[in-house]
Amino acid sequence: MSALATLVLLNLKLNFRNRMAILYGYLFPLIFLVAFWALYRNDPVPLALHLGQLVTITVLGGACFGLPTTLVGERERGVWRRYVLTPAPRWLFIAGMLIARYVLLLSAVLLQIALALAFAMPLPAHPVAFFAAFTATAFAFMAIGLVIAMLVDNVPAVQALGQCIFLPMLIIGGVAVRLETLPGWAQAASSFFPGRYAVAALQSAATGSGRAPFELLALALIALAAGIAAAGLFRWDRQLRPNRAWVVVALGMWVAIGVLNQLRPLSRPVMDTRNVGTAADYVSRAASRATQSWRDVTEADIASIAFDRLPPDDGIVSPVARPDEDPDPVLLPQLERIQAALPGWAPGNVIDPVQRTRNLLLVAAVPDLMQVEQVERFVPRLVFARLQAVIPPRDLPRILYWIATHPGEGSDAAVHELAGFGLPDPNGPGNAFHPREMLYAFKLLGRLSGNIVTAPR
Amino acid sequence: MVLSVRGLAKRFGVFAAVEDVSFEVSAGEVLGLLGANGAGKTTTVDCILGLLEPDAGAVTICGLAPRAARAKFGAVLQATGLPDKITPREALNVFAVLHAAPQDALLERFGLTQKADAHYDTLSGGQKQRLALALAFVGDPPLLVLDEPTAGLDIQARRSLHDDIRATRSGGRAVLLTTHDAAEAQALCDRIVVIAGGRIAAIGTPDALAAGGALEDRVAELMR
Repeated sequence: MSALATLVLLNLKLNFRNRMAILYGYLFPLIFLVAFWALYRNDPVPLALHLGQLVTITVLGGACFGLPTTLVGERERGVWRRYVLTPAPRWLFIAGMLIARYVLLLSAVLLQIALALAFAMPLPAHPVAFFAAFTATAFAFMAIGLVIAMLVDNVPAVQALGQCIFLPMLIIGGVAVRLETLPGWAQAASSFFPGRYAVAALQSAATGSGRAPFELLALALIALAAGIAAAGLFRWDRQLRPNRAWVVVALGMWVAIGVLNQLRPLSRPVMDTRNVGTAADYVSRAASRATQSWRDVTEADIASIAFDRLPPDDGIVSPVARPDEDPDPVLLPQLERIQAALPGWAPGNVIDPVQRTRNLLLVAAVPDLMQVEQVERFVPRLVFARLQAVIPPRDLPRILYWIATHPGEGSDAAVHELAGFGLPDPNGPGNAFHPREMLYAFKLLGRLSGNIVTAPR
Repeated sequence: MVLSVRGLAKRFGVFAAVEDVSFEVSAGEVLGLLGANGAGKTTTVDCILGLLEPDAGAVTICGLAPRAARAKFGAVLQATGLPDKITPREALNVFAVLHAAPQDALLERFGLTQKADAHYDTLSGGQKQRLALALAFVGDPPLLVLDEPTAGLDIQARRSLHDDIRATRSGGRAVLLTTHDAAEAQALCDRIVVIAGGRIAAIGTPDALAAGGALEDRVAELMR
């Protein structure tokens, strides 16, 4: 066995012989998972929308506390002083420790995901992107852990300095508390903490588009800068004094990334832009035919829709609450606001019935796309009721079919007029809303035609 | 010549820990570095092993600079330890891989066979020190550096360690032994370097240094 493999194996063995390491490394992440599950038990899909937060907390704990605690503890006992006298190159010991820690973090996260699956969470939508985001997060935080280990002289000091980084990141850094729920100043401050980018990259891979290039770059740069700082600060013996000026390299990168993020034109919550297919995926090819206008749509056209292929109502994409399901009382003010604002909303009253329908469907599509958790599945019920009130019953099925099969037509200008509902203004790609409009058009059409029956539980 | 130290000096701020220290150790020789606590023995050893960068002077081990000579020496230092949950067998295996050298029979040779699979934090002080010595022997190095190896040991463990050091010398290795115990230096060393205030106060065989009297009295006189 090679020297590196021997050291990795030794580090892993020693970790598993340490009860406190098992407690902090495995039990605490599971406790966090159960706590999140209990807190967000009303989510349509358990835990999926919080996976980025959960994994970030696990990695933060293991990398910013577990790693430096082990390293500083061994340095205090003179273990590194003994290692460094062997003929093996010095980097080998650090590499062995980092690889072992990476394996421990990976196993803790896999265990966490396994338990989450038992709570009915779906697998991450983009597993490869999720693994990449996890790896970037792990190395960024391990590098920060190394900096902590080099700065402090003893284990209690690791806890003190670690908490100084851990707690702000949890509370105002977008890790434990979702970014969207933070006040503006805290959202701006979160740009300067690495945790925000970890959560965004992981969440994008779990329930979003799986593309988070800025976040991955930010994590890689944070890892690089902290790695350089740790190398500059490195000491095998606590008696040696580190040159603390190296910390500026690590913290300077946090500031630089924060400024870059503030300057980004698209610095906003993650959009769920996953591919949900096109109308052709839901309409039988043999039965579909070219229509010139919504007025040409026939019963046979509607009968050609494969409603059973639509995403489930209790999923992440285009969710719809059951008719007998009551929203959590904390959601009622926002839902009542939307319900009250719908009749007076100008785009929902335009003369053209097709554009009117499109605009109203947008009110359901935007919360779904922007992952406005919990609220998103109750809004479609309000929109469906409004559509039935403002579009003649004879026309509504044909208009819905037309929109579902022609999602790219019409205007999307109404998407920027949602502030009255308390919904975010999504400045993303215009065509991102069309697939969700399509799905909600199909889903309402399914209900109107009796093809989708939502029986009370 | 296995170890050569020439004009070694090391300062910590304005404090001169070691000044102009020179000596040599040959194969088959035990050289004692004898001095009171804080005399500069450990600083000298740390400079010899490359753990500290000297401000002046030169150290060579088998003709190599310390950092290039890590395969040429084994060391038992103060303030060093091992992870609490490692076993002697694992420690020896890991060190053997790091030295790319076999470690067969070291457990038996240092009387650790019965404790081979016990966790380090359950070993007695003597057993820990024997394990440290066994680790220093991995790779069969020509130089052993022992920094106060008997500190804190009971009489039995101390005698056992003395026997190990004598056996090491008879095996043809060079040994640098630091101690503040004149009796230990007299019993084990071929030559003694008395160090006081970071400088060499005297150097010679135990008999020459004692000059017909008690070595301890003579050393105490030199350290004043």
